[in-house]
Amino acid sequence: MPDMIARYAEVVGPHTMDSLKIIADMLRGKRIVHVNSTKEGGGVAEILSSMVPLSRALGLDVSWEVIEGNPEFFACTKTLHNSLQGMPGGLSEGQVEAYAETSRLNALRLGGTLEDADYVFIHDPQPAALLGLLPGRRGKWIWRCHIDVSSPNRSVWRFVKKHVEGYDASIFSLPDFAQPLPHTQCLITPSIDPLSDKNIPLQKGEAERVYGELGVPLDKPVVLQVSRFDRFKDPLGVIESFRIARKHVDLRLVLAGGGATDDPESGAVLDEVQRAAAQDPDIHVLVLPPDAHRTINALQTGAAVVMQKSTKEGFGLTVTEALWKKKPVIGGDVGGIRLQIINRFNGFRVRSPEGAAMRIRYLLAHRWKRERMGVNARQYVLENFLITGQLRRYLSLLIALDSPGGEWERWI
Amino acid sequence: MTENANLVPFRFMDCSLLTTSTGLRVQSLRELRAALPAAPVSSIYYHFWGRMLRPHIAESEYNNDFASWADSALGDAELAEELSAINAADCSGLEEVRAVLEDILDAHLDRGDFLSWKKGDREFHFIACTKLMFDTGREVSSLRDFIEAVRTTSLQSFFHHYIDGRRRSAEGKDDFTAWLEQFGAGTERLRTSLQSVDTYLFSLGELKTQVVSILGRFSRGGGAENA
Repeated sequence: MPDMIARYAEVVGPHTMDSLKIIADMLRGKRIVHVNSTKEGGGVAEILSSMVPLSRALGLDVSWEVIEGNPEFFACTKTLHNSLQGMPGGLSEGQVEAYAETSRLNALRLGGTLEDADYVFIHDPQPAALLGLLPGRRGKWIWRCHIDVSSPNRSVWRFVKKHVEGYDASIFSLPDFAQPLPHTQCLITPSIDPLSDKNIPLQKGEAERVYGELGVPLDKPVVLQVSRFDRFKDPLGVIESFRIARKHVDLRLVLAGGGATDDPESGAVLDEVQRAAAQDPDIHVLVLPPDAHRTINALQTGAAVVMQKSTKEGFGLTVTEALWKKKPVIGGDVGGIRLQIINRFNGFRVRSPEGAAMRIRYLLAHRWKRERMGVNARQYVLENFLITGQLRRYLSLLIALDSPGGEWERWI
Repeated sequence: MTENANLVPFRFMDCSLLTTSTGLRVQSLRELRAALPAAPVSSIYYHFWGRMLRPHIAESEYNNDFASWADSALGDAELAEELSAINAADCSGLEEVRAVLEDILDAHLDRGDFLSWKKGDREFHFIACTKLMFDTGREVSSLRDFIEAVRTTSLQSFFHHYIDGRRRSAEGKDDFTAWLEQFGAGTERLRTSLQSVDTYLFSLGELKTQVVSILGRFSRGGGAENA
């Protein structure tokens, strides 16, 4: 375990890790549990895959539980997810029942662990109802909302609010996402792990080899979007941008993604994307397994320009991953991307396929600016969006929750 | 001098800034003025100082969030310049910073041009914070060790001593400068250099690089041995 700390220290500096250790020591002996809805696929699972081992390496007693559910439950939580991001519609009676029943079964299964914990992080709406089903809980419970709830479907938000207002605190990625709730609402941005397979530096030639294995020639610049096949990621808009840009510059488009076990809609979106890309030899749609982290690393490393043209985005981890690899990113001007991409500094924020196409052309035409933005991009992530910083903020929140009130500026 | 047993060692502290939503959000200048008295004092701190600890780039045009918002959301560059001219470090405390802000906004609203009621294209969110400070246990006595320790200390620790130290000190001195005073005339130029860095013009990482560079020059010039 000290090896792991030493490896992080090589990236962020030894004294940054020393400080993190001091904060962690203040929570030594406390039991911390994270709960989410999938072990793999999607940003939450990725963050927890790194945060839990790092927390343990720092001497913390941390576990990670995953709720179980049937397809009806995940159809319900997908509706919740979409509606909280503003899509019209609501939950059917059957979905509400599936949510209640699945929550009850998970409360029975996880009750002992969760009631004994000193701190419980519940990630997103899927497991949110557990709090109300475990009256014997003794610790502090925190609801971590990873999605953009800046303008939710109100009836669905009321449903979620009923389940989360009893928490001791909630965490949102941006102030725009915070909603009126009767407890502290912290603002903490998600992060990436510089030591994960997805982000470690690759061996020379590895990116080229992976592109070759995937059947994507590197004979012209590659524009890449890595994301789940989800409408909010706007893969069809990316194809449109590519086609506009291609009238002026020769390039390839790679759309790479997979599904998450808690996302029943991804198959339908993938069908739409494949239809839109059919017969076009310069568009490559790659369906990757959830553990294809090193492949994604290679794709990002080998791309000339990376896109994340989302129309709603809590926080685009793929944006941060690409920035870390010194790639300027063209992202939708929404949600957390506004904090990740600073126009002309490390990429461009766009509002339309036409805007994205123009920025693709710009970046491909200005190699030195692309490289300069790439250097900025890496430094920006180093200072702001690494897992060590996110963990530091989470642990600070736990310490603050144990000493409520008092001065805003205080010694611990 | 560096071996002098009477020297007070420098002890490195660190901090963690926990940011929280206040729920206060405004979309026009008039709304901003109306909300300002209700904002927690930590919110004033955050929008002037705490912003250094969030994703931030050196190219930011203005030195506080109120000024940035006036320009980028309201398109009122004149107000942004006035707000950015507030030197918060010259104020006696955060309430005085608030009062200065209110005065500028009042004067601007009195002029009554259309920008005072224009709705911004995005809201201003008042963000509050809790600053948790802790002792790292790291202590140095010699100048040579001090210089190395500043180079390797965390960005948050650097923020606490160098940026926030100026706010906490009645004379506006950062903690490094205050500690170096005990070395007398030998560190005078060094202290002047450290105090003359404009902390508003750089990101935190760049500021640290600059301070380390100043200390490095002093050390290479034999200052660490001769002071």
